[in-house]
Amino acid sequence: MTDTNPLERYSRQMRFPGMGKAGQEKLLASRVTLCGCGALGTVLANVLVRAGVGFVRVVDRDFVEPSNLQRQVLFDESDVTNNLPKAEAAAVKLRQINSSVTIEPVVADINRTNIEDFCAGADLILDGSDNFEIRYLINDVAFKHNKPWVYGGAVGSQGMTMTIIPGETPCLRCVFEAAPAPGETGTCETAGVLAPAVNIVASYQATEALKLLSGNKAAVNKELLILDVWENTNRRVKVAPLAGRKGQCPCCAKRNFEWLDGAHGTQTTSLCGRNAVQVSQRAKGKLDFAYLASVLKQSGEVSYNKFLLKFQLVENGDPYEFTVFEDGRAIIKGTDQPDKARTLYAKYVGH
Amino acid sequence: MAIKVQIPTPMRDQAGGKAEVDVTGSTVKAALDDLLRQHPGLTAKLFDNGKLRPYINVFLNDEDIRYLDEMDTKVTDGVILALIPAVAGG
Repeated sequence: MTDTNPLERYSRQMRFPGMGKAGQEKLLASRVTLCGCGALGTVLANVLVRAGVGFVRVVDRDFVEPSNLQRQVLFDESDVTNNLPKAEAAAVKLRQINSSVTIEPVVADINRTNIEDFCAGADLILDGSDNFEIRYLINDVAFKHNKPWVYGGAVGSQGMTMTIIPGETPCLRCVFEAAPAPGETGTCETAGVLAPAVNIVASYQATEALKLLSGNKAAVNKELLILDVWENTNRRVKVAPLAGRKGQCPCCAKRNFEWLDGAHGTQTTSLCGRNAVQVSQRAKGKLDFAYLASVLKQSGEVSYNKFLLKFQLVENGDPYEFTVFEDGRAIIKGTDQPDKARTLYAKYVGH
Repeated sequence: MAIKVQIPTPMRDQAGGKAEVDVTGSTVKAALDDLLRQHPGLTAKLFDNGKLRPYINVFLNDEDIRYLDEMDTKVTDGVILALIPAVAGG
């Protein structure tokens, strides 16, 4: 596309009084890191790139699968056929949408050793992830390096989002003090998800991003937004005040970045010669096998005794076997790739 | 009139399928105790060794009880207590 006036494509957005030409120019000069490019992430990337955010780094560890197409708006059947990584498939579409901005796809498993590099130079970090481990890492990086970020989550027909600005709002750990233990909350694989729920949450996140990047911080929603598209509820609730829990928040009050420092989270070990990976969970707490089994039986064969739970499933023709222990540790047979094991763990055992 | 406790979707199996349960009590703690008396299956979902699980928030008419007096916050008939767990997917 050749524009005589490169700003013409943004004319309707600039006509909106809150944005204007000045806001548009700020968007064009801004840089965003998008952590995760699934259902939330594809909607976020689509909006930001169309809106003219100048640089978008898209980080995702996964490949496009048929079950993604129901809700992950940037992908199509050819991406599945070509077995493309989500970050690369998204970049192709995003460049077709807007060739005047820079898209940087990164195919990687976000963890505590690389997240600071991925977020370096970003004016804003966006949560397009599907698990709390990445969200607490983003939260730590955001407060360590004084960058705003926008949390979003969706499962079933429900969703929630919150904008977090260091020094101005509570942080994620003020609101949710610790991650749900493995298996305790639903994942999109175990509880299902409706596309509109994720689209709406991501659209709220994207709106917050446009406010922050165009210099309209005063318009930001500083409450936790909770919605359910099936039960017709949409509410905003006041969250704990700055440095909530009476100044005891380990992250925003005490600046102990426990997730970044490795005190929490999962670690993986390849079990040599066994085509298996062990995923360990540092958080304490015991798994409820009866509950986890009731959830997993929709996805495969499950059995358990007092000590361990076995779960067998076939995903895209590949068989996997989970052996899950009471402390949340799991040995996943069928892969020797830590990234794949971590993905499977997040999908089925959850976090 | 009673206090209404809203039950999150993933916990409704333990509350007889109900989205809302009527309880009585003069504080948040007493109201939740009554909820657990009526539906003991919710205990392990909500509490761990007597402490509310750290990824579940309690809102009294849309205000975080941590803003108020936490579990000792006074409640009266007609108020709504919402139990809101973190939403992980995406």
